[in-house]
Amino acid sequence: MGIVIFYLAGAAAIGSAIAVIVQRNPFLAALSLILHLGSLAALYLVLQGDFVAVAQLLVYAGAVMVMFLFVIAYLGDRADLDLRRGGIGAGAAAVAGLAIFIETVVAVSDSNSVLTSPAQVADSFGSPQTIGRLFLTDHLLAFEAISLILLVGAIAGVVLGAGDLLPKRPEGAPDEREPRGERYDLRRELQRREHEAESEVGA
Amino acid sequence: MNAGGYGWLVLLSPLVGVAFNVGVGPSVSRRAVGWAASLSVLAGFVFSVLALIDLLGRSDSQRAIISTGWHWLSGGSFQVDASILVDPLSAVMLLVITGVGFLIHAYSTGYMHGDREEKRFFAYLNLFVFSMLLLVLAGNFVFLLAGWGLVGLSSYLLIGFWWQRPTAVAAAKKAFVMNAIGDIGMALGIFVIWDHVHSVDYATVFTHAPSQIGAGSHTANWIALLLLVAAVAKSAQLPLHTWLPDAMEGPTPVSALIHAATMVTAGVYLVARMWPLYGLAPDVSDLVALIGVATLTVAGLIALVQTDIKRVIAYSTMSQIGYMFCGVGIGAYSAGMFHLVTHAFFKALLFLGAGVVIHALHDEQDIRKMGGMARYLPYTAGLMWIGALALAGVPPFSGFFSKDQILADALARGDWVGYTVWGLGLAGAFVTALYTFRLMLLVFHGEPSDYARRHGDAHAGHGEGPFSMLWTIGVLAVGALFAGVLEIPGATHGMRNFLEPTVPAHLDPTGNQEFGTSALAVALALVGLYAAHALWGRRSDAPRRIAASTAPLEHVLQDKFGFDRLYDWAFYRPAVALARGGQRLWEDAAVLGSMNAVGSAGSWTSRLLSAAQSGLVRVYALAIAIGIAVLAAWLITGAS
Amino acid sequence: MSPGIGSWITLSSALFCIGLAGVMLRRNPLVILLSLEIMLNAGNLLLVAGSRYVGGNDGHVLALTVMAVAAAEVVVGLGLIVALARRGAPLDVDELRSLRG
Repeated sequence: MGIVIFYLAGAAAIGSAIAVIVQRNPFLAALSLILHLGSLAALYLVLQGDFVAVAQLLVYAGAVMVMFLFVIAYLGDRADLDLRRGGIGAGAAAVAGLAIFIETVVAVSDSNSVLTSPAQVADSFGSPQTIGRLFLTDHLLAFEAISLILLVGAIAGVVLGAGDLLPKRPEGAPDEREPRGERYDLRRELQRREHEAESEVGA
Repeated sequence: MNAGGYGWLVLLSPLVGVAFNVGVGPSVSRRAVGWAASLSVLAGFVFSVLALIDLLGRSDSQRAIISTGWHWLSGGSFQVDASILVDPLSAVMLLVITGVGFLIHAYSTGYMHGDREEKRFFAYLNLFVFSMLLLVLAGNFVFLLAGWGLVGLSSYLLIGFWWQRPTAVAAAKKAFVMNAIGDIGMALGIFVIWDHVHSVDYATVFTHAPSQIGAGSHTANWIALLLLVAAVAKSAQLPLHTWLPDAMEGPTPVSALIHAATMVTAGVYLVARMWPLYGLAPDVSDLVALIGVATLTVAGLIALVQTDIKRVIAYSTMSQIGYMFCGVGIGAYSAGMFHLVTHAFFKALLFLGAGVVIHALHDEQDIRKMGGMARYLPYTAGLMWIGALALAGVPPFSGFFSKDQILADALARGDWVGYTVWGLGLAGAFVTALYTFRLMLLVFHGEPSDYARRHGDAHAGHGEGPFSMLWTIGVLAVGALFAGVLEIPGATHGMRNFLEPTVPAHLDPTGNQEFGTSALAVALALVGLYAAHALWGRRSDAPRRIAASTAPLEHVLQDKFGFDRLYDWAFYRPAVALARGGQRLWEDAAVLGSMNAVGSAGSWTSRLLSAAQSGLVRVYALAIAIGIAVLAAWLITGAS
Repeated sequence: MSPGIGSWITLSSALFCIGLAGVMLRRNPLVILLSLEIMLNAGNLLLVAGSRYVGGNDGHVLALTVMAVAAAEVVVGLGLIVALARRGAPLDVDELRSLRG
């Protein structure tokens, strides 16, 4: 059963990948990529990577590709501008890619692989609990790093996308700008409010 | 203080002058510098006299004093001390150098007055005196070589003193290059000496020479020959003589001091000093005499057609030194040295007198523009006649005694060399008289030319020249008159006896030989005087007619026997062609080419490499992919 | 019965090479980004396969990390493309070469 799905999903993955790189229309390319991601999710399921499969669908196909589609929609005609395949170094590119693939095949076929059969794994292999535990114990650094990267990504998105709308810095050298305000002092702030309250009461 | 100590003082005196000139000179007047320079040389003269007195007070065998200052060079077995040798031979030279040198320094204060670079002149002059003293006082071959080279340097500096003149600069270079040839000869000679005797000290070499270097051997001949090259170059004898006439580009005092009295006589001094070595190489000694004979003849003939007053005197110097070479070549060392002393007096007198004439005529040196100067410069004319008569060998002037001594010794020697010297020497006496009196008649007598008249009249009442110029030539005239006293044949033998311990006299002419020679010489001189008067005294057509009929001969003489042209074609042009070829091939092509190539290779490489920075992202990705493919292939095939 | 790690490696490398070809051959930056995603996913596939055959969930963890990073990268890339489009630059990587040296 696993093998059948392997071949089917594999074929679908390869086919949709080829479709992505071949399509002229970026919208259709994005849709092909969604299909590609779905095939990969199936392959992950074959490999008992349940959480990864689901994360793939939710995050990749669900969020990232949607973002892609939003941008393609925003760009509209401009995305289609003057597309021509080929150009500089097309032949060399094909050769290089083919060479790498062939080398990998050669490498794989040459070696007497020790990994002909999958390892014995527990039932909880690939489950959210296992992975969550790993993230919070062995790979805590990766976890924190991810959060930082995502923060940076978010800021980058805002700045790149809507940077024109952010409030501008005042022109000129630092000295020419208006003097910075006084430091925030709580006691002064409270006294100021008392004064205002008294003046209000008085008025 | 013994003679050695005085010797050091003599050597150091001119250096004091140089030190004063360099240290204090910039802040004092030109006159002060001139006088300080002159006085330093005068001090040297005083010390020379004191050294002489000390020497005379000793017995004959004690008269060679070697004074060692300090241990100078030390390299394994090569040891050289800073030592000077004071003996009769060097004492004679010291007196001549410092005495005549002082007079010429004093003369220069008048002659160079008004020249903007007078102080530099005196510095160079003092330097020259020091160099010459070093040469003469040297107690070993290394000091000799040092003095030899320094003298050549001083000559270069002084000939080219008026460096704004291209002719002067060219003449200075010519003199220096030819002197350098002599330096090479001397250095090689010293190497050969070292090779055989393993010492450069005079005393050691001279005592061991007969044993280490066999008489008449190849080695002896080579040593003598190489030293002769140096002597010939320095004394302007054939074939290295072409620099001396051109050296007249320098100021007249320089011509008098360096190119008459002292530097050019260094070659004679060298042969005399090295007499033990020349005694071991009789063939080369004969060569010395033959060179002298050839030079005196050729130079005398060329002097007949010169029109520049200083060049006539220069060729005369060349000729007279030829006589000296004859003397030391046949073994008559004291005769040669005696002629050196008398020649210093009368030749310096002639040059300085010519300087007075030139000064009065505002730097005009062409004798065709002169004439009748005697009426404007009577004192100078009279003194120059003394010099001329001494030069021609007329008694009782000093030149008569010294020149005839050489000729008599040649006759006494008897073999073909001696007879050649005697015969051509007498003929040379005739030619000498001829050109000397031609000069005197054309310059001082007859009708003055317009140029001379103009300048002479302008000067009348002024006096003939600065006083410093006049009293100095007076002193020289006294020497020219009376120096003959030192060696009157049959009567006094002062010079010969004094020099006996260091340069023994081998030849002893009989009374008849001496008398006969002298009579012939005087007769020839008087015939020459008459002939000169006939040809040039009355400004007749005769010279022109004779010149027309002997046109080819005159052409040869005017061309100075073709030596300059020969050297130009044989040496100068090839050297220039080689230099130009070298510049084109090596400097432009190889050196500059390689430097440019390095630069352009750098920029070519950078242009090539910058093609990789195309800015195209896809190309970068392609490059990465190719890299991965290659790397993977490499890893897979297991290459190490 | 499972294919053996060799098949998984072959599949993953095929997908990788397809993505690489897309990056090298296409001129539209959007499609280049998509091809880049394919390459990343090929790597993820190999990670998960490896972790299945070797044992241990570390491969899954790394695959998830890669996913997160890829997401952030896509944000930045798309932001660049949007900014380019707003400035009117041609969306053609062959034209965008002001960094040439």
